[in-house]
Amino acid sequence: MPQATEKSGRLVCLGLNYRTTPVEVREKVAFPRPSVPAALREVAALPGFDESVVLSTCNRVELYAVHHLDDCAQAHATLRDYLVRRFDLATGQAEALVTYGLDSAEAARHLFRVVSGLDSMVLGETEIFGQVKDAYKAALETGVTGRALNKLFQHAFSTGKKVRNQTSIQRGSTSVGSVAVDLAEKIHDLAECRVMLVGAGEMSRTCAQSLLSRGAKSIIVSNRNYDRAVELAAEMRGSAIKFDAWEASMHEVDVIISSTSAPHFVIHPEQIRQVMRKRRWEPLLIIDIAVPRDVDPRVNEIEGVYLYDIDALQAIADEGRRERQRQLAACEQIIEQQLEKFGLAASRE
Amino acid sequence: MPSAQFLLVLSTLAFLAGVAPALAALRRGRWRRGRGVQLAAMLAGFALQTASIYLRGQQVGQCPMKSLPDILVFVAWSIALLYFLVGSTFRVSLLGMFTAPLLVVMHGLAFSFPGGFRPYPVKGQIIALVELHAALALVAYAAFALACVTGVMYLLQERLLKKHLIGGLFYELPPIQGLARAIQRMVMLGVVLLSASLGISFKLEGVAAGPKLAIAWGVWALYTLISIVIWRHTLSPRQTAWLAALGFVIPFISLWLVT
Repeated sequence: MPQATEKSGRLVCLGLNYRTTPVEVREKVAFPRPSVPAALREVAALPGFDESVVLSTCNRVELYAVHHLDDCAQAHATLRDYLVRRFDLATGQAEALVTYGLDSAEAARHLFRVVSGLDSMVLGETEIFGQVKDAYKAALETGVTGRALNKLFQHAFSTGKKVRNQTSIQRGSTSVGSVAVDLAEKIHDLAECRVMLVGAGEMSRTCAQSLLSRGAKSIIVSNRNYDRAVELAAEMRGSAIKFDAWEASMHEVDVIISSTSAPHFVIHPEQIRQVMRKRRWEPLLIIDIAVPRDVDPRVNEIEGVYLYDIDALQAIADEGRRERQRQLAACEQIIEQQLEKFGLAASRE
Repeated sequence: MPSAQFLLVLSTLAFLAGVAPALAALRRGRWRRGRGVQLAAMLAGFALQTASIYLRGQQVGQCPMKSLPDILVFVAWSIALLYFLVGSTFRVSLLGMFTAPLLVVMHGLAFSFPGGFRPYPVKGQIIALVELHAALALVAYAAFALACVTGVMYLLQERLLKKHLIGGLFYELPPIQGLARAIQRMVMLGVVLLSASLGISFKLEGVAAGPKLAIAWGVWALYTLISIVIWRHTLSPRQTAWLAALGFVIPFISLWLVT
């Protein structure tokens, strides 16, 4: 069977993603992990089809398959009908299901772009590479891939690696949370990093969670509303302290994320000078997310203290996104070269 | 068989070859592209340097550490050796980018002495302890040189963080806390090695003495002071980095004085 598909099968991709379809519809047609093997067998068993890979993430659902039908439009329709039947979509829901159908070289190009992170919501993100690998592995283990899809996905992974190694598409941070993590990593060993949250705003919580997810050691939360501090600390497996006690604990932490609603500065150079004396020159990162600002900007002049306010963080994230956009042309060029190299640019047209 | 000097020229070219693509890659913001080239160049440079020193040793019939060009080459070799030993602590390729220019300069200086690589006679009997004393002192100087390189890296990363210049180099440089600790380790290592070298000199009555030894004690005193300052947290990491970076001028100049 694999040989037959290689000789006469045609590649098709039917999908929907965050651009084409709202989340209310996407969540209805998502394949939970345990249901993927059954779905793979169902797609491969559709009339005229004999290979399949199902990629289902929070941002996309894509069916890659090899078929023997004469008409590509018929292949798209078959796959679309399968989705409608599989998820038992009502007429209205089926009409709202906006999908894209790609064939041969276009489908291969699309897969290469997906694997390289060029089709992701956050340009250049790396998680998708692992997700596609998992999707392919599931198909391989289910026994529904043949020579055509095996070769295609191997080429896609090699292209994805090339794009990431030869360009800066994954370099830099594109969100305030990831900028905070990058900064903390370039100052401290994150595994030893203690974080303090002063105020419990949404953005500061995001930053703290990013730091914890990347291995920060511990977190202390302080908020005017102590119950809220306790709640947030419990959520992040940290500890809460009363709002009048946070100043006394400042010297014990390596990162301070401040986001109080105070109309004036709450952290002053004199305080930080004392803190630094107690820290014996251990560096301190202060992230001021509050507007109006919580931290006197003169604090940045103190040796060993690195102060970033929300504008500075946003500017770095914006630059990160621009840098990735600048890399886009180079990435597309690599993809075209790889399509050509693997004979996928025209042979399947 | 190629001569020691020919191998040294090739080694210099290898180190140079490692610097150029790495700099270009940094300017393009695509550091990864230069990484393999950088490491390969450092490895090739070190291998050629080792072979050159071996041949030179054969040529002069002793450990080649008696003339200034030979001393410069030996210190450069020790720097490369320590770079490979401590490189895994950092990103090897990046430390290489900072180390390779220093090695090129040292090789260049060694070549700048006309007739600097002429054979010299073996004066009297070769005493193993004397050779060990000299070799340990030169490896200690190499540790101080790496402390200097790490100091420069610290000062760069510190500036990038303070000025919010979050770009290509920032992502490649190690955390400043790690760099501060590396400076400390390099200075301590140098002091220990130099102490051992000077300790041996007590056993060499009359053989290792005079201005050479006085200068070595001077360098030892300077770096012991830096070690104490680091250990007692008297100065900030930035001031320590400046000391490590600028302090190397003293042992570097002393190489001229002792020869």
